[in-house]
Amino acid sequence: MVETREESAERKWVGKSIQRIEDPRLLLGRGGYIDDMRLPGMLHAALVRSPHAHARIKSVNVEAARRLPGVTAVVTGEEAAELCNPMPDFGPDPTRHEWRCLAKDKVRYVGEGVAAVVAESRAVAEDACDLVEVEYEPLPPVVDPEAAMEPDSPLVHDALGSNIAYEKTMVFGEVDRDFEGADVVVSDHLRWHRSSGQPLETVGAIGNFDPGSGMMTIHVNSLTFTSYLFMVANTLKVPSNRLDIHPHPAGGSFGSKFWAVKVAIIAGMLAKHTGRPVKFIEDRVDNISNSDHHGSDRTYQVELAATRGGILKSLRVKVVDDYGAYIQFGVGHHGNALAQAVGPYRIGSLQYELHAVLTNKCQQGAYRGFGSEVQNWVLERMVDLMARELEMDPVELRRKNFIQPDQFPYFIPNGNLYDSGNYEGVLDKALELSDYESWREEQRRLREEEGRYVGIGICTAQERSVFSATEFWFWFDEPAAPVTSMPESVTLDVDAMGNITATLYSCAFWGNSPETMVAQLVAEEFDVEPSQVNVVYSGTNQGLPATGPGGSRFTVMIAGAVQGASKKIKDKAFKIAEHLLEAAPGDLEWSEGGVAVKGSPDRRKELSEIAMAAHLFKHSLPDEIESGLEADQVYDHPYTTMPSEDRKNLGVFYPFVGHACHIPVVEVDIETGKVSFLRYTAVHDAGTVVNPRSLNGHIIGGIAQGLGTALLEEFVYDESGQLLTSSYQDYLIPSALDVPEVVVGHHETPSPYTVHGIKGAGEGGRMMAPAAISSAIDDALRPLGVRVRELPATPERILGWIEAAQAQSSS
Amino acid sequence: MKPAPFNYHAPSTTEEAVGLLAELGSQGRILAGGQSLFQLMNFRVVKPENLIDINPVSELDYIRVDDGTLAIGARTRQSALERSTEAARHSPLIVEAVKNVAHPSVRNRGTVGGSVAYADPASELPAVVLTSGGEVVLTGADGQRTLSAGDFFRGPYTNACSPDELLTEVRLPRWPDGTGHAFLEFQRKHGSYALVGTAVLVHLDGESIDRVAISLCGVDQTPVRASRAEDLVRGNVPSDGLFEEAAAEATSDLHPLPDVKGSAAYRLKLARVYVRRALELAVSRAKGERP
Ligand SMILES: Cc1cc2nc3c(=O)[nH]c(=O)nc-3n(C[C@H](O)[C@H](O)[C@H](O)COP(=O)(O)OP(=O)(O)OC[C@H]3O[C@@H](n4cnc5c(N)ncnc54)[C@H](O)[C@@H]3O)c2cc1C
Repeated sequence: MVETREESAERKWVGKSIQRIEDPRLLLGRGGYIDDMRLPGMLHAALVRSPHAHARIKSVNVEAARRLPGVTAVVTGEEAAELCNPMPDFGPDPTRHEWRCLAKDKVRYVGEGVAAVVAESRAVAEDACDLVEVEYEPLPPVVDPEAAMEPDSPLVHDALGSNIAYEKTMVFGEVDRDFEGADVVVSDHLRWHRSSGQPLETVGAIGNFDPGSGMMTIHVNSLTFTSYLFMVANTLKVPSNRLDIHPHPAGGSFGSKFWAVKVAIIAGMLAKHTGRPVKFIEDRVDNISNSDHHGSDRTYQVELAATRGGILKSLRVKVVDDYGAYIQFGVGHHGNALAQAVGPYRIGSLQYELHAVLTNKCQQGAYRGFGSEVQNWVLERMVDLMARELEMDPVELRRKNFIQPDQFPYFIPNGNLYDSGNYEGVLDKALELSDYESWREEQRRLREEEGRYVGIGICTAQERSVFSATEFWFWFDEPAAPVTSMPESVTLDVDAMGNITATLYSCAFWGNSPETMVAQLVAEEFDVEPSQVNVVYSGTNQGLPATGPGGSRFTVMIAGAVQGASKKIKDKAFKIAEHLLEAAPGDLEWSEGGVAVKGSPDRRKELSEIAMAAHLFKHSLPDEIESGLEADQVYDHPYTTMPSEDRKNLGVFYPFVGHACHIPVVEVDIETGKVSFLRYTAVHDAGTVVNPRSLNGHIIGGIAQGLGTALLEEFVYDESGQLLTSSYQDYLIPSALDVPEVVVGHHETPSPYTVHGIKGAGEGGRMMAPAAISSAIDDALRPLGVRVRELPATPERILGWIEAAQAQSSS
Repeated sequence: MKPAPFNYHAPSTTEEAVGLLAELGSQGRILAGGQSLFQLMNFRVVKPENLIDINPVSELDYIRVDDGTLAIGARTRQSALERSTEAARHSPLIVEAVKNVAHPSVRNRGTVGGSVAYADPASELPAVVLTSGGEVVLTGADGQRTLSAGDFFRGPYTNACSPDELLTEVRLPRWPDGTGHAFLEFQRKHGSYALVGTAVLVHLDGESIDRVAISLCGVDQTPVRASRAEDLVRGNVPSDGLFEEAAAEATSDLHPLPDVKGSAAYRLKLARVYVRRALELAVSRAKGERP
């Protein structure tokens, strides 16, 4: 891995590659995963899952299960509906597609929970699951989303009266005029199959209810959206101030633990029901089939208009998204896609037609990219197609249409803002790092001399970061939930020794590096070593407003919170130092981790001396100074505006927009369809980089996932709605051996609106890799006339495309 | 994901293990490396009442050459086979093949006997035993019997072992010096089961092929020997055309079991490509052109 980046001169810690603070704990096996945690008297739960995609529950007989020695309780869906309110749901019209923690009346996908068993051990709980007799009346499954839209289709939710949960066409700018005026229009049908993030530890929770105080405590390894936990309290029928969620390391999320509240709710419900702590942790089949976090599952019809000279004019997108059985986030995934719908290009108008359909599958949740990675793939597919149509070099076509550095801040047709960027700078660096020109030579040589099919792909795409909640509700006239700016908070506490504790208020540790970020950011503010900063997590009950990771927001937001809290502490430290040094306010400066008199650096007080005074000697300080040296800061979204009434302008909702260029070189074995990598280059611009080393990890990990999406991963449901890929034997995720070494480069265009100019970058690699790899496969198979129009591009699919192209050219 | 309750037995000798099998009959199940059995138990696809753990039976852990035959004890770990210089000298084919079985951590536990006994049609080692003309030794309370590989593999996950027999040894005869070997397989990702695997042994007499064995895994109910393709090749001078013809013949009457990782039709196409490539490789090794 090559890393190319000049260290910033003005900052000491922001921009430095330090080792992750989280790592020693994880490498020593002391990560604190939920499955290692035991509470005294704790019981274990397991779920009876539906074997049917769609069926009425006629009866549930739990007698034999209840009698099994070691079993404490069995809760059916019907009983759960008494114990709990419906699940929190941000979707449109939740009462018409009611979602519950255990299915009641009807099951709507294979794997949906029907009953929960609580026992002395997980093994006994599973034994008892085998004894629960559920009588089902199978109903016709709704599997194909296009068929689901037909008026005579069986219904997933009778109360909704249709399987179309939501549909709308939004037009931004003069689309019809631009298409009519265009010289060239290319159109295509594209298919993106569902996959999802695969955490090392599945979702798990321990519920603990104290009937004395009425306090419900839940330890959980998932969950963000801390500010919305009142909705979880409502489901559990406990007052919101009597719910305390304790965050644990997620063991990986990649979005899939964004709002994975069902497990926590089941554990909480069972704890309240049994009066003892209850652990419920998904097994792998639970997680794959019942996570509520499958990714996008979309079918597209797309048109792109341009002039003969290669100026891109307008984009028309029609998308059918198969949401599965519920729609917990509404169509926020498409808000995400809209945030960067025109990519890095000066495309002047946009039409977006969405059909969100319900079927008998696990519902969608979040997966790294949240739907915008799909839009990136679609747009880049179309740009490549246009280059082919115009017989232009795909690199040059992109270059020609880039938004230019002097055009920022730039409003895209739907009203979202791109804060800053230098797309040609990124492109040029990527071309250089990838040895693009010499690979073009090598490609020719291998083709001519050895008959090998080598392709060079290119993707130049956006990574929007730091969402504002409007993307979830600008689809509707009324917001589905009262929404705020999605704040993030921190408390900094300098103890009497001058050591700093930073308290975080969300389940921030998803496998990203929140502690490293916070330690570096605090170190930057105070000019101390990051090792002097200890990072802890608060339970939500004592918590400040917080949202947590998601949409690449955490680092930007926490940087704002850290800066604000630091300023409060430093202001107070200056006041104390004025007194201790008998200096005038203007004469002091922050220097080397303490306060010094300007011009005479020997006259100084260390932070520890100031802190000691603040904690212990209040009475020797001026009256207005209170004991202690700590500060809270709630940081609100720094730049978001409201959508217009008519939604012709969606406002600014995702404004810190990074960019990247990926250039993979692949070889396709045309006899088997197998794709292998010869090289992979990725240059990212995430504004000011806090820690290049951990950012590289995000980029490389994201590329690994993007590779999985592009070539391997797919949840396959057959026509009866059975999930054929419920273990890793069939759902294939890439291992280290399947992922090429990645050459990473950074280009830094700071954001003018964020602290230090940071942009989010947590989703990075996966935003680009599917598009880049598709482009490389196209390029390799260009002599055969094959293009990738469906992902994953499995070897069998690729071979099928080759054969189809050969059949066509010979007929 | 926990197994149903079971009783656990840990014999320390073959005799004890066989005694337990005789006693428990079909209620008993051998546990070797557990790399396949535990999956089935955790998914509750099988719920054996008794597990007879042969891991302590160290007398079944050996690789030796008896009278020109490579004898591998059933409890030998796959990773031991992979590292065995004795095996590499005697049968480089099985060493090349075992490297394709899963990942190192699985091979550190998985046993040679377990892999052969499990009789997964996609497995590498059964195909190699079949190619080499190998045999399987079964030990029961009443004594031993030796079966040819062809007689042993009966169907997917089905073998000729009766419930009171233990597979104790796998035997591979030595092929003449100068034999070229090749084991090639197509995996969707590193370490996953083969969609198609091919094992080839070829010996040349001067210009032409005098001995040849071709087998495939992942393409039918059991590993299959491509006898008609062998007949077609035997006695002929190797050429691209010959390999192509042999590959077509080898795949003309196969019935792959499809799954989400590959349809039957796709597996057949792969098989044809892989037989040809394995023949090319084995022949070039027999000629000393490639290591
Ligand atoms: C992730 C993963 C990937 C894998 N990939 C591959 C692969 O690519 N190719 C491949 O071939 N295998 C693969 N395997 C399976 C692995 O090779 C197993 O080790 C092998 O199939 C069984 O060997 P075992 O010793 O683990 O047997 P066990 O799992 O203990 O037993 C398997 C079966 O054989 C029976 N048995 C075992 N030993 C004897 C005996 N001596 N006599 C009679 N019956 C016996 C058992 O009762 C049981 O029914 C994979 C396994 C995993 C977990």
